[in-house]
Amino acid sequence: MTETSTKETLLNAAVLRWMHDIAAQGIVTTDSELNVVEWNAWMEEHTGKRATDVIGKNLIELFPELIERRLDRHYNWALEGQVRVLSQALHGYLIAMPVVSGGHGYAEMQQAVRISPLTGDGSVIGTLTVIEDVTERVAREGELQAQIEARTRLLASEKLARSEAERANRLKDDFLATISHELRNPLNAIMGWAHMLRLGKLNEANVERAVETIYRNAKSQTQLVADLLDVSRIISGKLRLDVRTVDMIYIVNAAIDSIRPAADAKGILLQTMLDPAAGPISGDADRLQQVVWNLLTNAVKFTPKNGKIKVKVQRIDSHVEVVVSDSGVGISKEFLPYVFDRFRQADASTTRIHGGLGLGLSIVRQLVDLHGGNISVQSEGEGKGATFTITLPFVGVVSNHQEAESVEPAQGDEFVSFDGLPSLVGLKVLVVDDEIDTRELISEVLKECGSEVVLSASAAEALDALEQHRPDILISDLGMPDEDGYSLISKIRSLPPERGGQIPAAALTAYARAEDRMRVLRSGFQFHLPKPVDSAELVTVVASLAGRAYKA
Amino acid sequence: MKLTERQTDALAELINIAFARTGAALSELTGHRVVLNAPEVAIYRTEELRGALAKFVPGDVASIHQVFAGPIAGDALLLLNYAGAVHLTDLLTDEDQPSAFLDESAREVLTEVGNILLNACLGMFGNLLNVRVTFSVPRLHLETLDELIESTTFNKPDMRFALVVYTAFQIRDSSVKGFLVIVLSVASLDRLIQEVDAWEARQGDGDAMD
Repeated sequence: MTETSTKETLLNAAVLRWMHDIAAQGIVTTDSELNVVEWNAWMEEHTGKRATDVIGKNLIELFPELIERRLDRHYNWALEGQVRVLSQALHGYLIAMPVVSGGHGYAEMQQAVRISPLTGDGSVIGTLTVIEDVTERVAREGELQAQIEARTRLLASEKLARSEAERANRLKDDFLATISHELRNPLNAIMGWAHMLRLGKLNEANVERAVETIYRNAKSQTQLVADLLDVSRIISGKLRLDVRTVDMIYIVNAAIDSIRPAADAKGILLQTMLDPAAGPISGDADRLQQVVWNLLTNAVKFTPKNGKIKVKVQRIDSHVEVVVSDSGVGISKEFLPYVFDRFRQADASTTRIHGGLGLGLSIVRQLVDLHGGNISVQSEGEGKGATFTITLPFVGVVSNHQEAESVEPAQGDEFVSFDGLPSLVGLKVLVVDDEIDTRELISEVLKECGSEVVLSASAAEALDALEQHRPDILISDLGMPDEDGYSLISKIRSLPPERGGQIPAAALTAYARAEDRMRVLRSGFQFHLPKPVDSAELVTVVASLAGRAYKA
Repeated sequence: MKLTERQTDALAELINIAFARTGAALSELTGHRVVLNAPEVAIYRTEELRGALAKFVPGDVASIHQVFAGPIAGDALLLLNYAGAVHLTDLLTDEDQPSAFLDESAREVLTEVGNILLNACLGMFGNLLNVRVTFSVPRLHLETLDELIESTTFNKPDMRFALVVYTAFQIRDSSVKGFLVIVLSVASLDRLIQEVDAWEARQGDGDAMD
């Protein structure tokens, strides 16, 4: 017995020593008056208060902030026999101590605390407080939480990227849809008139008109193919307009011609009221023609057989107004606000119902907007027809210079009738191109305007011709075998002026991207002519190059 | 053992007083208004407990468990389903992002909440019976309901009855359901019901005097 109790006493003493010296927690015991009885080494180390300074003193008096923070109650409850838990998340800490390490922004050591009653003889004789430093754990948990949040954010951003990609894909689809739409428009006229020509039932005047219309539309289509990249600008709203003074009456007539076969086929009566006083406006002739086309094409498409389409051009105050009205299917009130809305059109159900009012109208609005004009639509409802009204600002100055667009080329011997175009008489032009067809076409056009032409099939030939013929202007293809146009121009520019080093030069290329144009101009050409060559443009460029020596 | 309607009402009212204290303590602690719904009270035999609770806690159960000893003795548990436990700690610690799991800090918060609630109820019983009960340190367990009931009743043949109190915490426009389960010996339950009857009789006198 004695041996056992001695052992027990020794063990108890060892436990108390362990609690005091070694325990990795703060351990504080008090009597039932809350006077401190035990204050272990951990507490000394972390509070800086020596056991000898606190033992025998009242815990609450030693740490009055326990009352402020209403934590003293837990000791009262403990004295009633309850065990109390103080979590770090709700209290932070019991007794303020400095952070040892890994605080990660905590000013005070974060603590998890248990306050237990100590009982003896069936009553509470004191309290035991165990304080654990959880600062590092809490900080780690915070980091883990942050990681989880970061991952969640990453997932969200991936989702966003995916939807962005889908959007880009949809834009691409829109782009393709736009292109095919644009290409089909002039094709309709070509097909229609070609069909009538094949039937051979047209009188002479109409044959001429057919050929003219086909030519004009083919030309427009060529333009469209060359301008594929411009179409992307329509979508991104960055279309560049080639603004000149144009005659709206001429444009409307051209558009009417292109849809006349389709209208005739459906027995639709085309009524025109074109006020000659409507006068010129400032704009891009091709784009305006595209606008009127779109409206007329829609009108024909949505007007039943033997219906009626009215086209009116008039001047109202400072505006030119183009009104296209039809007796077609009309537009429902619900859909009216979305007629020009591109994305609304992308909606599957609306596309199905209003298919023909698709991309064309959104392009129309953008083009009209770019011209500083306005487009509106009225419809009394479904089955009651629709009226589209375009107003464009009127330009007071009437230009007597006829537009490039108004050139009406004929065939054969009458190949060119360049009314109003500058004369090239007295100019000697050196044309360099490896393709004989292009060379001869250019030569033909230039000769027609009175210019003398020297032809070369390669860069080497051209350098000889430059020495030999002393031309005034150089027109050179860029893509040639052996030596390209860039190489040619750099060789020429390195020549002294008296040997032709400053000859004004224009480049021919099939690619019309902005960076190509930049490279062309940087390499020493002054002008850039896209292929296929437009006769009028060629002559204009040559005329304007005349007398403009190259200055590096 | 079955409680009469009067006994059930009296017990519910007593527990409601303890809940009001718990709500006040939690409100003060968290800075949010915390209300515990008026409790529904029932007595089950321990073997019926699984059936009674299974519907509420199909998956893992978070339980805060405190053993109490003295003239009345038994096990006191606060039961929450896992999602409810996570939600409750989020609400109490002002966590705006819903947490996916209970980290150590959240477990401590739950333990403290259970501690407050269990102490309030058992303290109320102690006062009512005018006895002093002692408590074990509260422990948080995450386990299935079967495991929980097994561990609470295993090898304790005299622990025959369970007082089950159903409530819900109302915090920040959210509601988290919970069960308070107090497993008692026959003797302890008898003693408790006697005291509840006596208290109820006193209340009745008081009412009659109004």
